Amino acid sequence: MDRDLLRQSLSYHGQSLFSLLRSEQIENPDFNSIAADLSKSVPQRDAPGGTSIVEQFVARKADLLFSPSWKSTSIVQYELQEETSEPYAVMPPLEQFMEVPEQERKDLFYRDVERGDVIIGRITSIREFGFFVALICTGGGLERDVEDLELTALCPIREVPSTRSHDDPLSYYQIGDLIRAGVKDVDRYQEKITISLHLSSLCPSMGKTKLGVISKEDLPLHYSRGASDCCESYEKILESSLGFSNPTNVDVLLVKLGIDETLSPSLMRGLQKKHFLEEDFADNIRKKQSASWALKCVKTGVDHFKAGRHVEAMNEYNKALEIDTNNVEALVARGALYATKGSLVKAIDDFELALETCPSHRNAKKYLCQTLVERGGQLEEEKKLVTAEGLYKKALTLDDSFREAEDALRKLQMHIQKTLKLREQEMAKEQEKAKTVETSAEKLRKILKEEKRMKRKRRRSSSSSSSSSSSDATSSSSSRQKSKKKKHKRRHSSHSHKKRQRRVSSHGYRSDEEDAEESYPAPANTSASFINQKHAVAQLFEDERSQGMSKSSGSFCASSAAEVLEDSRGRFEDDPFECSPCPAEPGKAKDRHGDKERVAHSDHRKSDTPHMVCKKRVSSTSESSAHRRYSSSSAGSEYSHKSETQSRDIHSQGMSSHRWSDADKKESRDSRRSEGNGHRSCNDYSQKSRRFSEGGQKKELPSNLVDIFSQIAQFEKEKSTKQKK
Amino acid sequence: MELVGRSHEGRGSGDVAKHELSQDIKTHFRVCRFIIETGVKLRMRSMPVATACALYHKFFESADLPAYEPYLVAMAAIYLAGKVEEQHLRARDIINVCHRYFKPGCEPLELDGKFWELRDSVVHCELLILRKLNFQVSFIHPHKYLLHYLLSVRGLLNRHACARTPITETAWALLKDSYHGPVCVRHRPQHLALSVLYLAMNSYGVELPAGEAEWWQVLCEDVTKAEIDAIVSELMELYNMEARCT
Repeated sequence: MDRDLLRQSLSYHGQSLFSLLRSEQIENPDFNSIAADLSKSVPQRDAPGGTSIVEQFVARKADLLFSPSWKSTSIVQYELQEETSEPYAVMPPLEQFMEVPEQERKDLFYRDVERGDVIIGRITSIREFGFFVALICTGGGLERDVEDLELTALCPIREVPSTRSHDDPLSYYQIGDLIRAGVKDVDRYQEKITISLHLSSLCPSMGKTKLGVISKEDLPLHYSRGASDCCESYEKILESSLGFSNPTNVDVLLVKLGIDETLSPSLMRGLQKKHFLEEDFADNIRKKQSASWALKCVKTGVDHFKAGRHVEAMNEYNKALEIDTNNVEALVARGALYATKGSLVKAIDDFELALETCPSHRNAKKYLCQTLVERGGQLEEEKKLVTAEGLYKKALTLDDSFREAEDALRKLQMHIQKTLKLREQEMAKEQEKAKTVETSAEKLRKILKEEKRMKRKRRRSSSSSSSSSSSDATSSSSSRQKSKKKKHKRRHSSHSHKKRQRRVSSHGYRSDEEDAEESYPAPANTSASFINQKHAVAQLFEDERSQGMSKSSGSFCASSAAEVLEDSRGRFEDDPFECSPCPAEPGKAKDRHGDKERVAHSDHRKSDTPHMVCKKRVSSTSESSAHRRYSSSSAGSEYSHKSETQSRDIHSQGMSSHRWSDADKKESRDSRRSEGNGHRSCNDYSQKSRRFSEGGQKKELPSNLVDIFSQIAQFEKEKSTKQKK
Repeated sequence: MELVGRSHEGRGSGDVAKHELSQDIKTHFRVCRFIIETGVKLRMRSMPVATACALYHKFFESADLPAYEPYLVAMAAIYLAGKVEEQHLRARDIINVCHRYFKPGCEPLELDGKFWELRDSVVHCELLILRKLNFQVSFIHPHKYLLHYLLSVRGLLNRHACARTPITETAWALLKDSYHGPVCVRHRPQHLALSVLYLAMNSYGVELPAGEAEWWQVLCEDVTKAEIDAIVSELMELYNMEARCT
């Protein structure tokens, strides 16, 4: 209990209150402790006027009225009133209406004015040490009108801010100016007030006040209102003020007066804050209710889902989420539905949202792990390996024991490591052949120009195949010369002659373009490692593409594609895509594509679905005679390295295949067939190859591998001879 | 009306009129307490709660208790007051809170037929109130008068003394509590505000400088001391009733 308050009250009411207090608050330990103190200060008189009821009330409610917590915690700061807006009615000071006698008002003024208050006055005289101001009224929070009190204040010269233009700051001011100043010092006993024009004299909350000369319009509202109609009653002034009609003036004033509505103060025993339980409040009940309503919807939704009615199930889930957003059960159920339907991204979003709300939801975790792994698998197929890795790791962080995620992650990591290793190797080798690249490029340009000319001639002539094949032969032969070793290696491989040929052709192709004996590690690796490492080739091709081939190889690829279709070596200048829709040899192109595809198949026999997917894609495109797409995809492959390798292979194979087809369509047919037979594992592949074989021209195909080799050698020889020319 | 738990309790038949009257008064007190409590739980501001109570009192000025279910009228009054005072409440929240008031600690209502019936009855009762009051449902409350008076009175006091003495809170609390009874609708809002302020100042023994006129006379010219005293005694009576009714 606040002792001072009690004392104040008691001194007002007198003994009767005290005795009442004692009787009413007998149980109150707080009161008892200070009762002894208070009894001394209680006057022995009775309160003015019959206030027994009030005393009774005070006595009864003393524990509430005088409790320290009852006081407003915020000490209301005086703030500068913005005179333009009037959120509530600003009234003239009450003492004016009450017509309090002058002396008392003077006393009150001196009692209440403090350092830091804003005061307004009129300059009466200017001396060399400062100027005197007759006070008119107070500004800011304290609202007093003291004009008639004839109080004077002094503003010493040091308190006047100096204006640069004037030597003497006082010369800026004239008698009769209205000045707004801050109270610097108050001497109550001698009734002297010192004011200052420095902003520092004001309290911080009044920082925006403009001190100095003001005009009549700047006079505070309470003064101007009071001065103008002195005959008007308080009530009239109040009701005529604009601020009084403001609908929100209650809220504004509550803030100003420091009353907190949320505390809901009351003097009724039953309405004390402590009696209200948090769960009885409307919003809490609503939350619980929404959750239970939403749960019902989810249950019906799950029933629909189990019965297979996905649409209805989704409707129920959405309804549940409308009733209660972020309802965990609804989110998990909807996520499961999305996952079943295949929209994995949406499913993941839902699960994550559910886990945010309830991190320990078992089902959500489980489903999320599964969906992440599935999505990772999807991304792997799309060659977005890093993202896939991220997802697997995430799945593992969620659930350490999730087998599938671990396996998938390990597989992927190995994959990435290999890629990186090979890339490093490539980088190293790339350094070596840096020099040779350029020179090779120059050479190649020359060759290609020649080829171009020849091609044009050939085009006019109908027998294009032979010349091209010859050129191919030369290329292949030259390459062959340089890569006999590799050929041997290739021969060892049981996979197919096609492979070797492809290698040869690709090698030859490359060697023609670049005289480097070493050429690219691709051929060296592919022959042996190719068999073992499914992705090695992919790596190599990708590396080639990315590094040196980026400039030249890019064009090489392009050119290879072009060559495929043009039955000649690729032209740098040609746009691979332009070559694709070559109408003259649609069939050949198809064949080539089929070959490429087939060889690709053969190359990556051990590869898993991604390859299949690629191949399927490839085959589908070629089948649909979308040459452009195919070649574009192969030439400018946007796949990850796997697909790149794929395209690589396809390019080289395309080269080889086109050579084959040029050379001997039968051969290609045969090879295709054999390939198809050889790789029964790939059903699609075999189907496609069969389709191709059916769709293509049906000629007799030599089944002798050696024949083919000899032919290749022939071609290469011819090519080299041509080049020598 | 299933919601009714206690309104008909203690109603003896053939009692003395006085007893009946006091019984009614007790009922009204309880229902007003119900309104104010619900207002707190719905986080209503003071004004809408005041409007709701005023609507309730005005309604039962002309209506008889046996004819209308007071708690339903109270719920509808809250619903209507929210609309009048621009603090829109949803019927679902009102029903939830009221349901829990009568059955403490129970589960929230399910979205079934019963819920919709309750909602329907609230809405119908709202229309009934409107018709009973001739659609005059906007009241001028003493709140803003009180706040302005407080400002003016504070201007007369020393700011530190004023900060020490919680006149503002007490006056506000007194005003809110005054809505338990019909005193809120029987007097002019200025008078009620003034009385409340007078009581608050008196309780703490705060004295204002005396002038030609008393401060309360200045604030509201047509009020008399007698009237202030009458209102004060009515307020006191409400507090006494609390002990008897609850």
